[in-house]
Amino acid sequence: MQPFELSLTEASRAVRARELSPVELTESVLARIDAVEGRLGAYVTVAADAALAAAVRAEREISESGPRGPLHGIPMALKDLIDVAGMPTTASSHVRAGHVAERDSRVAERLGAAGAVLLGKTHTHEFAYGLTTPQTNNAWDQSRVAGGSSGGSAVAVATGGAVFAMGTDTGGSIRVPAALNGVVGLKPTYGLVPRTGVTSLSWSLDHVGPLARTVQDVALVLSAIADRDPASVSGPVPDRFAGGDLRGLKVGVPRNHYFDRVAPEVEESVRGAIERLAELGAEPVDVEIPMARYIQAVQWGLMVPEATAYHERSLRAVPDLYAADVRVLLEAGELTSAGDYLRAQRARTMMRDAWARMFDDIDVLAAPTVPMTAVEKGQEAVEWADGTTETVSDGYVRLCAPANITGVPALTLPVGRDRAGLPIGMQLMARPFHDATVLRVGRIYEESVGGAGRLAPLAA
Amino acid sequence: MTSELTPQEAARWALRAGLPLGDDRHAEVAMTADHIHSVISTLREIDFGETPPASFYRAGQENADAAV
Repeated sequence: MQPFELSLTEASRAVRARELSPVELTESVLARIDAVEGRLGAYVTVAADAALAAAVRAEREISESGPRGPLHGIPMALKDLIDVAGMPTTASSHVRAGHVAERDSRVAERLGAAGAVLLGKTHTHEFAYGLTTPQTNNAWDQSRVAGGSSGGSAVAVATGGAVFAMGTDTGGSIRVPAALNGVVGLKPTYGLVPRTGVTSLSWSLDHVGPLARTVQDVALVLSAIADRDPASVSGPVPDRFAGGDLRGLKVGVPRNHYFDRVAPEVEESVRGAIERLAELGAEPVDVEIPMARYIQAVQWGLMVPEATAYHERSLRAVPDLYAADVRVLLEAGELTSAGDYLRAQRARTMMRDAWARMFDDIDVLAAPTVPMTAVEKGQEAVEWADGTTETVSDGYVRLCAPANITGVPALTLPVGRDRAGLPIGMQLMARPFHDATVLRVGRIYEESVGGAGRLAPLAA
Repeated sequence: MTSELTPQEAARWALRAGLPLGDDRHAEVAMTADHIHSVISTLREIDFGETPPASFYRAGQENADAAV
């Protein structure tokens, strides 16, 4: 096994035990990027020299005084919406030509303080306003979409081009590409990870979170970046299930919404994973997802006017520099009204309260992350067995958006593959600030099935 | 009841919002705006009663939202 194949947990252990130096690890990951990046397009920028210099510093510090923590000397990537002082934040957009960030985002600052080694910046769907990341190819089949908008981060992690990566999630942008590329992704509770210095798509729905190869890996990253946001009412809550099994845990299984218009193989894999949770001691409980009819309306009613507001100046100054799909959404967003926005805000209040009541009866909610695996590039719509069609983007957002609206933590982890060999993801959600609960359940599941952390099968 | 926007109406509404649109943009923006409207107008079905908006304001605290 080569160093780039190690999960974060394994690499961190090897670095701590002085079996692996951060320089060897970083060189191995950079060589892997060289070997596969031409087929993937995961990175906007690879800062190889700076990464090697940081790895040398980490190696020296670790040999002198031991590691600062589990991320010390670990090479990672940031979605190119996340500011790093002195580097451009391109948002994968021509609009940002010439941009250089003046200071680190809070997340970059914390990862730097933890000793992580920055490899470079990964592609996003332009300004995070889309679900495919067209610049990037899927890790498992390069003719298929990477998913988005954190497509570059997911593909880098899935192929050994980063040990972990950061993404952002406004309607599924961490979880969708994580699921489509067979990696783990966490959208933490709204407000738990600071967004300062991260380009916004929609302030009230944006989240920053990690992508990595195992649940334990994302838990290690979350510990380094989580905050008690001054705007939030509570910090993370410790998990109350301390044991190695899931006895006493109530797993909500949705009766509506999450299994509607879902590919049969996705449904089969996720229901199989829920059965596995039951075998581990969890009690499945049927639940009704409240206000499901209004999920898309609330998501759009918040996101569309907020995104248009964020881009107000540049949409007027340089409209031709936006990609066509993003430009028209920003322009049309000018036509939403204050009344539309307030209805979405008020419906969000109702949905948050209804979800809180739903979680009175369950500890976690388990569901598919996305209704279908990675589609071919260029495919625009998907047809369902009930005769309806929807756009690929609407399909990929549909099962992720509720956690953005309600702010609950949502973890995706791989639970199988379809007949084409493409990965399938399951989401685990819990009450706000119970991020530790979804991580614990995810980890116990992952350990029980084995084989976690494998790379996508992509020859060098 | 709501009605669909013509391309000319979309252009006029956008202009009123401070966004002049070139002639070649009118039809596409009207179609997209109509689609967005059809999705979000389902919220008109809800009786909100006394429910306040989810956005909130706290005096005297630094804004912790994403930096521009």
